[in-house]
Amino acid sequence: MEKTIIKFNSVTIGYGKKKIIENINVSLLENDFVGIVGPNGAGKTTFLRTLLGNLKPLSGTIEKNSHRFGYVPQRDTVQPLLPYTVADVVMMGRYSLMGVFDKPTKKDREAVDTSLEYVGIQHLKNYNYNSLSGGQRQRTLIARALAVEPNILILDEPTNGMDTPSHYSLLDLISGLHNQNKLTILLVSHLLSDVANGVKRLILMEKDFFQYGLIDEVLSEENLRKTYSSDFHVNKIDDEYVITSKHRN
Amino acid sequence: METVNQLIQLFPYAIMGSILAGMICGFLGTFVVSQRVVFLGATLTQVSVAGVAFSFLHLINVEGIIASIFGITVSEHSFLHNFEPAFFSLLFAIIVVLIFSQTYRQKVLTQDGILGIIFVVAVALRIMFIQKSPIAEVSEVESILKGDILFIGQSQFFTLLGIFLFTVIIFTVFQKQLKFVTFDADSASAHGINSRFWLLIFYIVVGMGISLTTRFVGDVFTFSYLIIPSSIGLLVSKRVSQVFFIAVLVGAVIPPISIFLAFKFDFSSGPAAVITSFVLFLIVYGYKKIKGEG
Repeated sequence: MEKTIIKFNSVTIGYGKKKIIENINVSLLENDFVGIVGPNGAGKTTFLRTLLGNLKPLSGTIEKNSHRFGYVPQRDTVQPLLPYTVADVVMMGRYSLMGVFDKPTKKDREAVDTSLEYVGIQHLKNYNYNSLSGGQRQRTLIARALAVEPNILILDEPTNGMDTPSHYSLLDLISGLHNQNKLTILLVSHLLSDVANGVKRLILMEKDFFQYGLIDEVLSEENLRKTYSSDFHVNKIDDEYVITSKHRN
Repeated sequence: METVNQLIQLFPYAIMGSILAGMICGFLGTFVVSQRVVFLGATLTQVSVAGVAFSFLHLINVEGIIASIFGITVSEHSFLHNFEPAFFSLLFAIIVVLIFSQTYRQKVLTQDGILGIIFVVAVALRIMFIQKSPIAEVSEVESILKGDILFIGQSQFFTLLGIFLFTVIIFTVFQKQLKFVTFDADSASAHGINSRFWLLIFYIVVGMGISLTTRFVGDVFTFSYLIIPSSIGLLVSKRVSQVFFIAVLVGAVIPPISIFLAFKFDFSSGPAAVITSFVLFLIVYGYKKIKGEG
């Protein structure tokens, strides 16, 4: 029996008085890999921010035990002018584990090194974060989230704006974190192909439409039409989902 | 050398105070510029001036209240006698930073838009307060409102020293939290740091520094020293600590030089301080361009 770690009970998400999606009932399980997919503006980031506690639900309750989240924001939202090094940025992940007056210890520095090593950018440790490529920045932010030693890793559009090799290399890294480190992962993307062949469960999200379940149950042509207001073919070839638009000639 | 000796004899606190004011602005300005909230600096200087103008209406006798609580006579205490303008300058700035610190999550208006509204309201209020001020001519009140480096006396100097030490202590002790929330507030929240609280602390310290510095050295000096030294720091530094060091160093060195130049060539000290720092900025920027790094 898989253990429920986060439970949404009739939750409505939105900003101020503006409701984006109503009556969300979701149970996230331990060691799960959940993809959250929907068109731009569907409320994916709002859903995440509500889950993380950065936004209060407009109604309903969210049951969370004392889990530690590692959060990887959209890369474009982090554009510092100050010349922080990669190590500086990753060390920030350790701050929440320290007391108010504590300074980073040897253990914290080792955790930073381990995280950087895991994402394959140990050699960039002393580089200026601003001088990195998009893929390297994304790995830095993943390393920061790993430095928290999280139970749940949440990634918001991690492959946005990346070239193809970096894109797939990053997806491989995320799959590895789930398969080898047994991390529970929530992966947000507006690219269906990013998540369809990696995740166990899927959340399809659009205004006034919310579907959650095992990927085989949720990934249907009808659900995709409701989500994207467009027609798709969903085929499974050699255990891989192939999703194509019906409008393509 | 004779001019320097004269200046030291005539304006010892002005020289030391200008160094402190430049250091405070250079330090806080590094955050203001790197947070891309330069307009916050401009707005806070105007809000502070509006606070000083409000004090001239004498609607609330803060000095009298404090004097009665402590059983002292206002006229015998020079610090208390000058307390009300600084108090309202600080109060107005704190109210604005309290409002501003809560705006980073809202989606309808931009932070710049909110600051713009506060800015014009502050300017308008200042004018209205001055017009209704019973104490003096409008031009006289305006000159008091604007502050002047050369008017820095002993009590202003020690107040500036207090602000400087307070700012450095807060940013040193709570370095981790302030660094994270100013770098990426959403992720800090997600990782268990109370971003709303720490951003509030950050903006309160920034607001205090800017409002009191504006009170003593004027809005033009304060705003320019928030922006120019930190911009020079960002241009020439490769590490975060270097940016702060350069910004504080420029903030410390340029004001006394500009006082000397103002004295020598008979200019106002505030504008002279701005132009001197701007010339340094141009030299640094030009050098970086020539080296192909700008």
